[in-house]
Amino acid sequence: MKKLLSALLVLMFMLSAVAMTATAETEGGTVRMLVNVTGGKDEEENVLWAQALGEATGLTIELEKPASDYGNVLMQKLSAGESYDLIYIDASQYANLVEQGALTDITDYIENSEILFNNVPESEWEDLRVDGRIYAGFNKRELHILVNLNKVMLEEAGIDYTQIEPTLDGYYEVFKALREANPSEDFYPFNTILSENWDLQPWMASQGLKGGVVVDEADGQTYVPYATDAAAPVWDWLKKLYDENLLDPASFVDKTTDMRNKLGAASQQTAVTVDWAAWVGLQNANAASGGVSTEEYEIVALPGCQTPDGSYMLHKGNASLFAIPINASNVEGAIKVLEYFATQEGGELLSLGIEGHDYTVDEDGNYTLTEIGASHAMDHGAPVPIYKDFVNPIGMNLGVEEALTYLDYASIETIIPNESDYKSIVGKWGISIVRGEVETLEGLASMREELVSMGICDK
Amino acid sequence: MKKNTTGIRHRNELNYPQKAVMYLFLLLVGVIMFLPMWNVIVVSTTTALEASRSGVHLWWREFSIEGFRYVFEVTKLARPFLNSLFVTTVGTVIQVLLASFAGYVLIQRDLPFKNGITSFIMLTMMIPGDLTMISIYQLNRDLGLLNSYTGLILNGLIAGSSILLMRNYFKSISYTLAESARIDGASELRIFAGIFLPISLPGLATVFFMDFVSRWNSITIPAAILTDESMYTLPLKLKAMILSTSSVSGTAQIPENAIMAAIVITAVPLLLIYVFAQKFLLSGLNLGATKE
Amino acid sequence: MANRALNPGMIDKRSVRRQKLDRMRRYRFIYVLMIPVLVYFLVFSYYPMALGIFNSFREIQLLGNARFVGLENYRTIFSSPVYSQAFVNTLIVGVGTFILQFFWGLLLALFLNELRHKLSRSFYQTVSYIPNLLSWSVVGSIWITLLAPNGLINGILDWIIGDGYRPIVFMSERSLARGIMIFTGAWKGAGYYAALFLAAVVSINPTLYEAASIDGASRMQQIVNITVPSLMPTIKIITMLGVMGMLRNFDQIFVMQNSSILDQVRNLLYLIYTEGIVQFKIGPASAAACIVLLATMIISFTVRKLIGYDQGD
Repeated sequence: MKKLLSALLVLMFMLSAVAMTATAETEGGTVRMLVNVTGGKDEEENVLWAQALGEATGLTIELEKPASDYGNVLMQKLSAGESYDLIYIDASQYANLVEQGALTDITDYIENSEILFNNVPESEWEDLRVDGRIYAGFNKRELHILVNLNKVMLEEAGIDYTQIEPTLDGYYEVFKALREANPSEDFYPFNTILSENWDLQPWMASQGLKGGVVVDEADGQTYVPYATDAAAPVWDWLKKLYDENLLDPASFVDKTTDMRNKLGAASQQTAVTVDWAAWVGLQNANAASGGVSTEEYEIVALPGCQTPDGSYMLHKGNASLFAIPINASNVEGAIKVLEYFATQEGGELLSLGIEGHDYTVDEDGNYTLTEIGASHAMDHGAPVPIYKDFVNPIGMNLGVEEALTYLDYASIETIIPNESDYKSIVGKWGISIVRGEVETLEGLASMREELVSMGICDK
Repeated sequence: MKKNTTGIRHRNELNYPQKAVMYLFLLLVGVIMFLPMWNVIVVSTTTALEASRSGVHLWWREFSIEGFRYVFEVTKLARPFLNSLFVTTVGTVIQVLLASFAGYVLIQRDLPFKNGITSFIMLTMMIPGDLTMISIYQLNRDLGLLNSYTGLILNGLIAGSSILLMRNYFKSISYTLAESARIDGASELRIFAGIFLPISLPGLATVFFMDFVSRWNSITIPAAILTDESMYTLPLKLKAMILSTSSVSGTAQIPENAIMAAIVITAVPLLLIYVFAQKFLLSGLNLGATKE
Repeated sequence: MANRALNPGMIDKRSVRRQKLDRMRRYRFIYVLMIPVLVYFLVFSYYPMALGIFNSFREIQLLGNARFVGLENYRTIFSSPVYSQAFVNTLIVGVGTFILQFFWGLLLALFLNELRHKLSRSFYQTVSYIPNLLSWSVVGSIWITLLAPNGLINGILDWIIGDGYRPIVFMSERSLARGIMIFTGAWKGAGYYAALFLAAVVSINPTLYEAASIDGASRMQQIVNITVPSLMPTIKIITMLGVMGMLRNFDQIFVMQNSSILDQVRNLLYLIYTEGIVQFKIGPASAAACIVLLATMIISFTVRKLIGYDQGD
């Protein structure tokens, strides 16, 4: 038994020694990256991806990709003093890490870099500034949320989606018509993720209210617009939809996936939702690959309600970023990678993937996805790269182009360090109001009170 | 009713109202235990489009194994599956062995510091993972265990619960056996390996199964120490698959049927072992839990 | 313990010590067996735990400085109203789940023992054990689907009640929230307990039953008077295992919570995650974890004494 045991242990040590492989040095040095979604989709492709990035930048790229629990792993590695040149983070991690002083200030690099400064829209950089300084570059371009509508169902209800009046009442009429055309018990015209309330912006726009936390210019205090009395008409509107069986009651508990499935071609249990622009295309693509024609099913996009001043108001996804920790050993190299990500070629690597593996280019410059590339759905970290003039050589899914025309109306929400508290408090009281458990104004007052007590805003 | 005429045999069964209650309970439990599992199986073997239909699926509208194909061809679960199989098997064998050592120690009569040792072991079962999560990574790095099978096996090599189960199991074996062997001059090793281990084979099987399950499903440590994709284990992949569908603003989703297929693939080995071990478990679990 | 009580206090201390040393010498080999286990626990449990406790007194900046802040982290936690609420939730859901799971498992085992049909017995045993093999991300999403407005439960209710039925959004009903957590928790674990119980039930000496039935005891009386008392040792170990894990339920809540019911179900570990770990606040997270550890120790110690777990040593 003992022999067997020691033999096993020796075997294991040998295996683990083999697992560590040496890499050759390149002139630009090594850039060690900790990534989450960015890169290859499997082990083999990850190697190819790192090679491709290395060749393009003249660096040796080391990619490390935790399998799951990315946030935990990131914290464990940083607190152990592990040195990375680039770490993938989301917006709230950005806020927390900047606060702890863990990230390198790269404002000067950005302002001195032609590529970074010219290829990325100025406004994107503005969104990252903390007291005027910037601590990260972009992984991808964030798209916006907007209203997704089932065009075929609308037509059956006698509605031309381009003619919908962009007001709360206008959409109420749409839902009513949809209900009349489809009285089925399983069907609800509208579904929204009330418990997480990330998809209310197109409706709150009707009152000119922005999601998240906002600074009151008058006294410099922060507040949550959705929790103000000005938001009452929207909450009342949702309540009316619920009372009249137009809003899916599952909206109180549904997660994003549930909502998507219900709008999807296979279920069609709802006709209107609010989702990310890319999902307009994904819903259509999924239907197409399942053999459903556009006569039977098509999702189209609208920007929702008009603001009081006649514009639209959408919000963009929280940034997904690459930051340089303060203990990075190759800041120059890391900047080179960020620059590459902000070019057409870098964008192709981040979206389509690797030439020869995910796609091929013929003599005329036509791109074709390989079978592998098709299964990766043009996403290797950034479906839409940050480069402002990026052109996807393959073309986009049906409906996305239309959705992108509304991108200019979108802006990001302020980054909230304890975002989950924000969502659950707004969600809890919002649901109470919609269910009629509390008076609207009373519920909003309680919402504000709890938001303040949890330190999310000042008033 | 007829209880006087039919005698003992009848008395060994419940009367009819009691039986009715029993069958009702079993039926109810059976249904709520079985249906959710059934739902998983049905969804895993249908088309992607059909799988995305919201609601519970109790029967196939369309049968398809594309979910399983996706899992092996796109998600590439084969390697993680083998990794899991290897580290779980090796780790569990060692774990059972060590647990039986420790369990044996804890049944010694008048062994000095025995209660102290018991408390020492019990305390390890109470430590919340959040308390150790920061330092456990550092520890593994300092010991050179990152991205290695050794690391996957060493972490969680011993579980307090298996020691306690082994202890209770050994306790059911007459201690006098050991005493008389000692008087006959048998070495401790002989007593342990020659008397206790063979008799307690079912107990070893029990602990083996329990440990196998918990190792097979472990996520926290593998997630912390692995960044090399060739080392990924099955539950890591599974979790990534399940969670990736829920939030990200742009990425394509993994079809529901593939996720369910991955769940089936993760559960099947455990199920096979369970069915196989059921016989052992009956006697094993029993003795393990019986004292004195 | 019991053994020490046998020695009357009048024997002088030195001879007691010598006796002890003698015994330790006699058990040399036994101690050697224990060494790998002790070393493992010291390295992989106690050392990280000690660091964790140490961290709970510090304010730590990732990649930056850490400074000693005394009880500051603990003060933060105790002054937060959310934490006390979370403690209550943890206890209610923890105790509730344990009790339901306990009786569910016991009843299942007793009934399975009455089941004479081999195949269906094997079926039940396996089916009831499956949930225990699956992770919470799987089990949780299954139940969320079943409890959804268009899910199975509402389907059944609709079928019973008929026209005009408005589906209940179970997962958003505050009054049901804890009950659902307790139920699904027990659902997942009952098979495990049933397996432990069943094994003990089967091993009960059959002559006991024979004797009882000759004396005219009905099957029900046999179960109450013979089966259940014979299960005491199993009950003890199940209670100990249950109690030690009671406060450590994270995955279930993480998967099954939503905004409407969060106040009712948010427990300590979930709070440590959202308020500490996600925000990289290592100090407060460690302090909260220390409190969980301490509470578990107190509860376990009390239960260990109450049920006399060490008796018969």
